[in-house]
Amino acid sequence: MSLLRLESVTKHYRSDNQDIVALDNVSLAVEAGEFIAVVGRSGCGKSTLLNLSGAMDFPTSGAVHINGVSTTGLADTQLTEIRRRQVGFVFQFFQLLPTLSAIENVELPLLLCGQTSNRRHALEKLRWVEMGELADRLPHQLSGGQMQRVAIARALVHSPKLLLADEPIGNLDSTSADIVIKLLRRTADEWGTAVVMATHSLEAAGITDRIVQLRDGRVEEIGPA
Amino acid sequence: MTAASVLFVRLIVRPLGREPARTALTIFAVALGVAVVVAIHLAGSAATGSFQSSLETLTGDADYEISAVGGLDEKLLAGLQALPHPLQFFPRIEGYAWRAPDRVSVPVFGFDLIGDRSLDGIARTEGFDLDQLTADDSVWAGSALVPETGRQLRLTMNDQTREFSVHGILDVSAENGASRSNIVVMDIGAAQRAFGKEGRLDRIEVFVPAHDDRDWESIITAALPEGVTLSRQGSRSNENRKMLSAFRWNVRVLSYISLIVGAFLIYNTIAISVVRRRNEIGVMRALGAGRNAVTLAFLGEAGCLGAVGTAIGIVLGWLMADGAIDMMAATVRSLYVSSTPGEILFTPGSLLVAAASGVGVSLLAALAPAREAASVAPSEAMARGRHETTARLRIGRYLAYASLLAAGSWGAALLDPVGGMPLFGYLSAVLIIAATALATPAMVNALTRLLSPLLRAIFGAQGILAPRSLSASPARTSVLVAALSTAVAMLVSVGIMVGSYRDTVIVWLDERLRADFYARTAGQREARQYPTMDPAVADRIEALPQVEAVDRFRAYEIRYEGRPSIIGSGQSEVLIRHGRLGFLGGSSSKDVLTALGSGDRVIITETFSNRHGLGPGDTLRLPLGGRMVALEIVGVYYDYSNEGGAVIVDRNTILKYLPDPAPSNLAIYLADGVDPGSARPAIEKAAGSRSVTVADHRTLRTRALEVFDRTFAITYALEVIAIVVAILGMAGALVALVIDRRGEIGVLRFLGASQGQIRGLVLFESGLIGLFANAIGLLLGSLLSLVLIFVVNKQSFGWTIQFHWPAAMLLGALSFIYAAALIAGIYPARVAARLNPIEVVHEE
Amino acid sequence: MKRAFCIVMMATTAALGFDIARPGYDYQFPRDHFSHPNFETEWWYYTGNLHTRQGRRFGFELTFFRYAVREESGGDSPWNVRDLYLAHLTLSDIEGQRFHDTDRLNRAGPGLAGADAVKALIWNGNWRVQWLDAAMPKGTQRLTAYADEFSLELELSPLKPPVIHGADGISQKAAGEGKSSHYISFTRLAASGSLVLQSETFDVKGLAWMDHEFSTDSLGSDQIGWDWMSIQLDDDSELMLYRMRRSDGTADPHSSGTYIDADGRARHLAWSEIQMTPDADSDWKSPTTGGVYPLIWEVEIPRLALHLTGITDLDDQEVVSERRVGPSYWEGAMNFSGKKAGKPITGAGYLEMTGYDKPLQLGPQE
Repeated sequence: MSLLRLESVTKHYRSDNQDIVALDNVSLAVEAGEFIAVVGRSGCGKSTLLNLSGAMDFPTSGAVHINGVSTTGLADTQLTEIRRRQVGFVFQFFQLLPTLSAIENVELPLLLCGQTSNRRHALEKLRWVEMGELADRLPHQLSGGQMQRVAIARALVHSPKLLLADEPIGNLDSTSADIVIKLLRRTADEWGTAVVMATHSLEAAGITDRIVQLRDGRVEEIGPA
Repeated sequence: MTAASVLFVRLIVRPLGREPARTALTIFAVALGVAVVVAIHLAGSAATGSFQSSLETLTGDADYEISAVGGLDEKLLAGLQALPHPLQFFPRIEGYAWRAPDRVSVPVFGFDLIGDRSLDGIARTEGFDLDQLTADDSVWAGSALVPETGRQLRLTMNDQTREFSVHGILDVSAENGASRSNIVVMDIGAAQRAFGKEGRLDRIEVFVPAHDDRDWESIITAALPEGVTLSRQGSRSNENRKMLSAFRWNVRVLSYISLIVGAFLIYNTIAISVVRRRNEIGVMRALGAGRNAVTLAFLGEAGCLGAVGTAIGIVLGWLMADGAIDMMAATVRSLYVSSTPGEILFTPGSLLVAAASGVGVSLLAALAPAREAASVAPSEAMARGRHETTARLRIGRYLAYASLLAAGSWGAALLDPVGGMPLFGYLSAVLIIAATALATPAMVNALTRLLSPLLRAIFGAQGILAPRSLSASPARTSVLVAALSTAVAMLVSVGIMVGSYRDTVIVWLDERLRADFYARTAGQREARQYPTMDPAVADRIEALPQVEAVDRFRAYEIRYEGRPSIIGSGQSEVLIRHGRLGFLGGSSSKDVLTALGSGDRVIITETFSNRHGLGPGDTLRLPLGGRMVALEIVGVYYDYSNEGGAVIVDRNTILKYLPDPAPSNLAIYLADGVDPGSARPAIEKAAGSRSVTVADHRTLRTRALEVFDRTFAITYALEVIAIVVAILGMAGALVALVIDRRGEIGVLRFLGASQGQIRGLVLFESGLIGLFANAIGLLLGSLLSLVLIFVVNKQSFGWTIQFHWPAAMLLGALSFIYAAALIAGIYPARVAARLNPIEVVHEE
Repeated sequence: MKRAFCIVMMATTAALGFDIARPGYDYQFPRDHFSHPNFETEWWYYTGNLHTRQGRRFGFELTFFRYAVREESGGDSPWNVRDLYLAHLTLSDIEGQRFHDTDRLNRAGPGLAGADAVKALIWNGNWRVQWLDAAMPKGTQRLTAYADEFSLELELSPLKPPVIHGADGISQKAAGEGKSSHYISFTRLAASGSLVLQSETFDVKGLAWMDHEFSTDSLGSDQIGWDWMSIQLDDDSELMLYRMRRSDGTADPHSSGTYIDADGRARHLAWSEIQMTPDADSDWKSPTTGGVYPLIWEVEIPRLALHLTGITDLDDQEVVSERRVGPSYWEGAMNFSGKKAGKPITGAGYLEMTGYDKPLQLGPQE
C-alpha cells in the first residue's frame, strides 16, 4: 500500500469570480522511503498538490489517501491529527517562528500534540541536521541554510511518515541548497519517510527517485530521475 | 490632490476599509470615551451648574435677597417697604414637604399671595377666592404633583401630615431653566403656621428699579439690623455652584479616564498601522513622499477615527446624560443641597468639549507613531524585524522617563491646592499614570521572563508562544496593557478610596451613634433640610420612665465666608454622659464638651476647620438673632455627614439668640436595663399625632450607608465604562495582532495545531494581557489611591480618611476584568482560528 | 366723593354686620380722618394740579382704598386678612403728554398698609400720607409716594377747614337708607415739594384736593357708574359735583354737589340745581380698554350764575389697573374756564369718570 495516494484528484479555486483549475485529474502514488520531486513552472499546481497531500485541503474531486486514510470528509480535528502523526512540512521561507529559538521551534510540533518533556528529542533532531550547537539561537541570528535545517528538524521531530517540502531550496544559495537536498535524501533513506519536494531546480530533482512533471495542473510525465 | 492626501487614501483609507471589524472597534472605543466625557459634561451642567437649590426655583428676577440665620422677624418687612425709594420687598417662607405616600420631597413656598407683584403669571390665577387664598389647607401645586385643580394632596410638613386642597396649577413655564412643576405654593400666613415659623420670614426678596443705578446695596444694608444679611440674587446658586465645583471637578476628571484609555487605543491603532505598512511607507518614501506627508497621512487616520468616534460619541453621550444626571443628582441631593436638576442643554461649548476630547486626544495620541512613520527611511523600510529591535532598545529610555515622571508625581502630591482645587493632585495622578504607561514595556518584559518557565510547564505550546509573542512586540502589547491597566488602576484606586472612606464612615458611625433611638420628623430627608418637631414631643419622650435622657438637636443653615454650612445645637450635658465625639488632636471628648456647655463656645467639624483655617482658640463670628455673636472654638471633631461642614453650640447658647425650642432631631438614651424592643412602642406613642419617625441606631447606620453607596454610584459607573472602553479596544487590537501574525498562525496549523489550539493561543494571550494589566493596574491603582485619599480628597473636601484595602471588592473587580479580558479575546480568537493557513503561509 | 370701585375682585363679602352711613353722624377730627373699620368701604383720595417755577404742569393722584372682606380677621396672625388695601398712584405729565400710573394691593399684614389715627398715618408700603403736627390743628400732611418711573414728595397745607358733604352728615348716592356715605374733603390744599420723573427732579407748587369717604353698600342697584369733578376756581371758591349714572342713561336724582365759598362755607347743591353735561363731540376712545370717555364738560349752576367749560390738556389719563384686579377709570387733571356772575373766571381741578369700559360693579364679583 502506497503511503501517499492521489486518485484522479482535481482541485478548483475560485478567485476573483473565476474558476481556476489548480489540479486536473492527477493520480500519484508515493511509497515509504521514496523521494520524489514535483517540478513545473510557478503556478502549475505544485503547492496545491503538496497542500492536498499534507491534509491541509480537500480535493474538489478524487481522493487523497495518506497512509491508507482518505482525507475526504474528515473534520478539522481529524485532519490536524493526521498532520500531527504523519506529515512534516518544509517551506521555501523556512517559516520559523521568530520569537522562538531554534530548539523551541523544533519542539513546537511535539508541544502542539500535547507532549511535554521533549527537549531531548528535539535536540536529537537538531543534531541530526547538524544544528545542535546553535540550538538556542533565535531565527534572525541564523543564515538561510541554517534556518532551513532547523525547519527540517522541526518537520521531522515527530517522525512523520510523509515529508512535504515546498521549494525548500528556492531561497538558498547553492551550498546551502546542497546541504538541504542531501538532508532530504537522507530522510527518505534513513527514516523510510516518503519525501515529496516541489522544486524548480532540475538539478535538485536529479537526486530524487522520481520526477513528476506538472503543467497547468496536469501530470505531464512521470519518470525516473 | 496633494501628496499627503494621495498617501492618505492609499495608506490609510483603503486598509481601514479592509478591516471593518477592527476599525469599528477602535471607533466605538473612542466613541464611548467621548460619550462619557460629553455625558458628564452635559449632566454636570444640568445637575450642578444650573443646579440651583430647589428653593431658588421661584426667585424669578429679584435683584437681592435678605436673610438671617434662623429667619427674619416679619416686622422688618414693614420698615423696608416704607423706605423712601422705588424698591420692592416681598417676603418668603421656604420649606419642604413630603408627599404621601411616595415621600417625594417637594419644595414649599409661602408667598404674600396678595401683595407680591413678582408672582404675576406664576401663582396668581383668575378668580381667586380670598377665603381659599389664605386658608391653612389651600395650596397651589405644580403640574408634576397634581394634574388638575380641585384635587387633594397629602403632605407632611415638619411633624404634621395633612390633606391640602389644590386650588390652582402653577404656570410651569420655566424661567432660568428652573422647573416649577414639582413645587407647592401657599399663602405666607398658612406657610408660617405649617412650618412653625409664626412671626418669622425666611427671606425677603428685593427688586430694584431697572434704570436706576444708585448704590442700592448700601441703601438697603443701612436699613437692616445687625445679623441680617443682604446678598445678591443668585448668590445662593453661586455658593452652591462653588460648593459643588469640587464634586463636579472630580466627576469630570473621572470622566476623562475613559478618554485616556481611548487615547492609548488610538495610539495603539496608529502604531499598528505604521508597523504594518512599513513596507508601503518605505516604497512611498522611495518614490519621493516627504516626511511631513507621511506624518500627515497617519495623523489623518487618527483624525478620521477620532472624528467618527466623536460624532457617534456625541449622540451616545447625549443619551447617556440622562442616566448620569440621575446619578449626579442623587449625590448632590444626599451630600450637598436639596435640588432639582436643570435641563440638558446642548451648547456649542459641549460640542467643543466633545470635539476637543475626541479629535484632539486622537491626534495627540497619534503624534508619536505618526512621527515614527515619518522617520522610516526608504532603504530600511524593506527590512523586517528591525522595528521590534528598536522598540526593545527603547525600553531602557522609557524607564528613565518613567522614573522622572514618577518623581514629578511625588513632588506634585506635596504641593498645596490652587484656589481650593487640588490641581497638583490631579497633576500628580496624571504623571503617575504616564510614568506607569512608560514603564509598562519593561514591566511586561519582566513579568514575561518571570512567568515563562511556569507557563510553559503548565500550558505547553501556548505557554511558550503567548508570552513570547507579547514580549516580542512590546510596542503593541505594552500599549494594550497600559490602556487596560490604566482603567484597572482607576477602578482600583477609586475602589480603595471609596472603600477606605466607607470603612472610615462606618467606624465613625459606630462611634457616633450611641443613642438607643433617634427621632426626627417623617419624610425623606435630603441635605440641608431641617424640619422641626413640636418640642412637647421631646418633653413627653423624656418623661417616659424607660428613658434616661434625650438630646435635642436643632440645625439652621448658615453662610460663612460665602460658603453654606450648618449651625447645630445639642445638649452637651447629655452628650457628655452618653455620647462620644472624636476630636482632632486627641482632645478628650468630655473636656471639650464640658467647655462647650459653658457659654458662647463652639466646636467645628474637620471640614469646616480646613476650609476656613480655623482651630481651637480661634473665634468664630456669626450673625445670630439680630446680632453678631463671637463664639470661641474649643474643639475640632471628625464628621462625615455634610460636605459644607458644621459648627455646633450648646442648646442653651442657641436658645439665647434664636429662642425657638423646636428640635429637628432627638437622640434618645434608655435607662439601664431597659429592653429597646419594649421601650420603642412607648416612645412612638409619645409622639402622639405628630409625624415623627423613630429609628434605632442600626437602622440609622444602614440608612447612612445606603446614602453613601448611592453617592458613589456615578463613580463606579464611570469606572466600568472605562473598563469597557479598554476591553473593546483590546479586542480591536488583538484582531490586529492576529492579522499581523497570520503567517505564524498558518505555520502553526501546518505544524499540527488544531483550530482549537489557535483559538486557545489567542485567548491565552488576551488572558495574559488581562493578567499583566491587573498586576500593573493594582500597583498603579494603589499609588493613585494614595494621591486620591491624601491629596485630592484632603484638598477638595478636607476629610480624614483612614486607608483600608477593600480586599473583597478588589478581588471581585480584578476577576471581572480578567474575565472581561478573556471575553475580549473571543472574537480575535475566532478570526485566528478561521484563517486559511494555505493562503496566509503562501502570501509572502 | 365716591370712588368705591370694587377693587376687590378677590373678595367675598357680607355687608351684613357693617355700619351704614346714617344721618346725624358725629364727626370728630382728627379721628375721622383715619380708619373706620366698621364700614365696609373707605378711601382717601389726593388729587392736584402742580407746576414748576418755569410753568411745567403736572397732575397727580394718590388714592388709598380700604375694603373690608370680613368683620374679624379670625386668628392671631397678622397675615390673616380682614381688609384689603388697594392704592393708585398716577402722574399726568402735561408737557410731556404722558400719563404714568401704577397700583398696589396689600393686606394690613405686619404693618404693610393701614390708616392709623395714633400714627396719624395713611399708608400702603411707601405710599404714605403723614399728618405732621401731632394735634393736627392745621391738618398739614406730608405725602410721599415712590414708583419705578416717578415719585412724589409733597407737603399739603389746608387753606380751608375740612368740608362735610351732603346733608346731615351723609352724602346720598341713591334712594334708600344707607345708600349714602360719610364724605369729608379738604378742598384747597396748598401743595409744595418735589417730584421725580424718570430721574429728573422738579420742584413744584400747586393746589391739591383731598377726599375721604367711608360707607357700606352705598350704590343703587341700577347704577352703572358716575362722573365726578372737583373744581378749584381762582376766586378761592371750589365746587364738587357728582352725577350717578343709571343703566338707562339717565342721572340718578340723588346726584349732587357742594359749593365752598372763599371763606370756607359749604353749600349743598341738589341735582336740580346742577347741570353737568359732557360734550358729545369730545369722545376719546381708550386704546387699552376700549372705553369711550367724553373729555369736554359743560357745567352750569344757575344759582351761582356760574358757567364753566372743562377741558383737559392730556387725553389719555385712564387708570388701568396693572393687574386688572379692579375696574379701569379715567381720572385726570382738568382746566376750567367760563363766567361767574358775568365775570370771566378760570380754575383747575380733576375729573373722574367710571363705568365707561363696562358697568361698574360694587361689591363682590364672581
